[in-house]
Amino acid sequence: MRSISLFFRSVTKSLVLVTLLCSMAVSSANAQDAAAGAAIFKQKCTACHGIDKAVVGPALKGIDTKYDEAWLLKWIKNAPAFIASGDAKAVKAAEYSPAMMSAFPELSDDDIKNIVAYVKVGDVKPAADPNAAAGAAGAPADKGGVSNFMLFGLLAVIIIAFLVILVLNRVITTLERVMLQKKGIAVEEEDGAETKDRFEGLKKLSKNKKFILFIVILCVIFLGSAGWKGMWETGVHTGYQPVQPIKFSHQLHAGVNKIDCQYCHSGAFTSKNASIPSLNVCMNCHNYVTASEKYDGKTSPEIMKIYNALDYNEETKVYGNDTKPVEWIRIHNLPDLAYFNHSQHVSVAGIECQNCHGPIQTMEEVYQYSPLTMKWCINCHKQTEVNHKDNPYYDKLIAAHDKLKKGGKVTAAVLGGLECAKCHY
Amino acid sequence: MLLKLSTTKGNMLVMNKRLIICTAFLTVAAVTVISSCSNNRSTGLEFARNMYDPIGYNPDQPNKNFKDGKTAQNPPAGTMPVGFDKYDVYPNTLEGYQAASAGMANPLPVSVATLEQGKTLYLNMCSHCHGLEGKGDGSIVKLGKFPAPPSYSTGNSSRGGTMKDLTDGKIYHTITHGVNLMGPHKSQLSPEQRWKIVMYVHELQKLQ
Repeated sequence: MRSISLFFRSVTKSLVLVTLLCSMAVSSANAQDAAAGAAIFKQKCTACHGIDKAVVGPALKGIDTKYDEAWLLKWIKNAPAFIASGDAKAVKAAEYSPAMMSAFPELSDDDIKNIVAYVKVGDVKPAADPNAAAGAAGAPADKGGVSNFMLFGLLAVIIIAFLVILVLNRVITTLERVMLQKKGIAVEEEDGAETKDRFEGLKKLSKNKKFILFIVILCVIFLGSAGWKGMWETGVHTGYQPVQPIKFSHQLHAGVNKIDCQYCHSGAFTSKNASIPSLNVCMNCHNYVTASEKYDGKTSPEIMKIYNALDYNEETKVYGNDTKPVEWIRIHNLPDLAYFNHSQHVSVAGIECQNCHGPIQTMEEVYQYSPLTMKWCINCHKQTEVNHKDNPYYDKLIAAHDKLKKGGKVTAAVLGGLECAKCHY
Repeated sequence: MLLKLSTTKGNMLVMNKRLIICTAFLTVAAVTVISSCSNNRSTGLEFARNMYDPIGYNPDQPNKNFKDGKTAQNPPAGTMPVGFDKYDVYPNTLEGYQAASAGMANPLPVSVATLEQGKTLYLNMCSHCHGLEGKGDGSIVKLGKFPAPPSYSTGNSSRGGTMKDLTDGKIYHTITHGVNLMGPHKSQLSPEQRWKIVMYVHELQKLQ
């Protein structure tokens, strides 16, 4: 009996070892294929395909079970020709989208097999190194946490110290009161007398004209300064930071992603208004970017607001008709009596956006940086030198000036009097 | 003050109550005044608000006169803004793309000044995906947030041929209508601006 059990044990041990080794070998072979496939996938396929996410083409997860390898080889190498050949599966696959799958004649059979291997294990790879990812993500979070922790800790220490002082004071007070009470009733009687005296003192003070004058002067100073400050700040919206309907972060888009201001505010260079981008501009990126990695695979609720406003279906990628505008709240608003033109400042003068709008690339939420008062405009206009080089407007002015010098006549038309905007703005 | 008084005066509940109420009231008043002063969610005190509100409608304002409540309306069907005529006639299909390649040429003469403008426009409008030199390594691609587009100089087009052989019409058609993950940019760029970019992209195609 004993020998049998021993034998059985050894057999199972070796079996386990062999299977372990086999699986390791298989997985490592797979990994190699997948690594090569991943490189090709990122180079050739990601423009249209994701593994878990439908992009232009369908999500590729499970493609190896849906189609056999020979079919996939033909399809990936030259889909248009394959469809034209009349293959039933290929024709059906082509119906997925009006955009046709491109031909990739440059891919070898091995390349395609590697790609398929990568698609197969694609999501195992990120699952294998969450530790590394967590470590990498954890480190900066820790850094941010330390400074926050210190700040809050300091605040807490101060508050606790203050509370301790208060409590100790209270204790001293009660102890003193107890001592006084022990000394006798006389003390309490004295107290009562003093209270009456205090009220009498107040009445006396109210009849003291000098004291009243002092109080009145204090009031006047206080109200006057408050009024003065209030009047200076009336209609000046510096620091105004309203809550916007979508939590759009300029810090992320302009700061981290380094998207130029003009990409979204394309009007700033060509028109009076810097223009708030219409949602189709958002969709140029957010048809792909859903920030789902931050929301457990779901689309970010802020990006969902774009989709909802456009009545865009994320799954089918179809736009509906039930659209509604996003009601952004205007921050920078000049009164209508002042004419301001963005293109004049940005295109002609070449002023950076940050000159007036402040460090916009660091703002999580936009606030008004400059006061936009007349004094502010005038101060800048007094200091800024005009760059008249290569500017036909100034060339014309100089030509007109020269003509005048020579005794010629200059009409209003020469000075731009026929420009539409001279009258119609 | 409160504590001092109670130490010297002993049992003075009535007085304490009054003082407590007084200080509480003063604190609340001060807090309201201070917080109302520093509230950045409101524009603060305004005089003659009607001077800020335009008499005419700004493009980004609500407008009751239109069904959808917006001032900025789409141009009516069949109309084209000034300067947009004749360029956007090729439809957003593979046939339109091929037809644009055959039927369009850059109307702007090549000059250093135009190329400079094209470069500025390219850097502002395209480089965050396509990269500073059109190699498909823009800032967003490097961050891994967006898939890389093919390089202008070494990549292959998804619609056949190499990227460096793309014609005027093909590049213009792609900027106008987009392709694959690239969205249409016709609302952000005027035809003239697009042609300036096309001119500069031809320079990037020559890079190695």
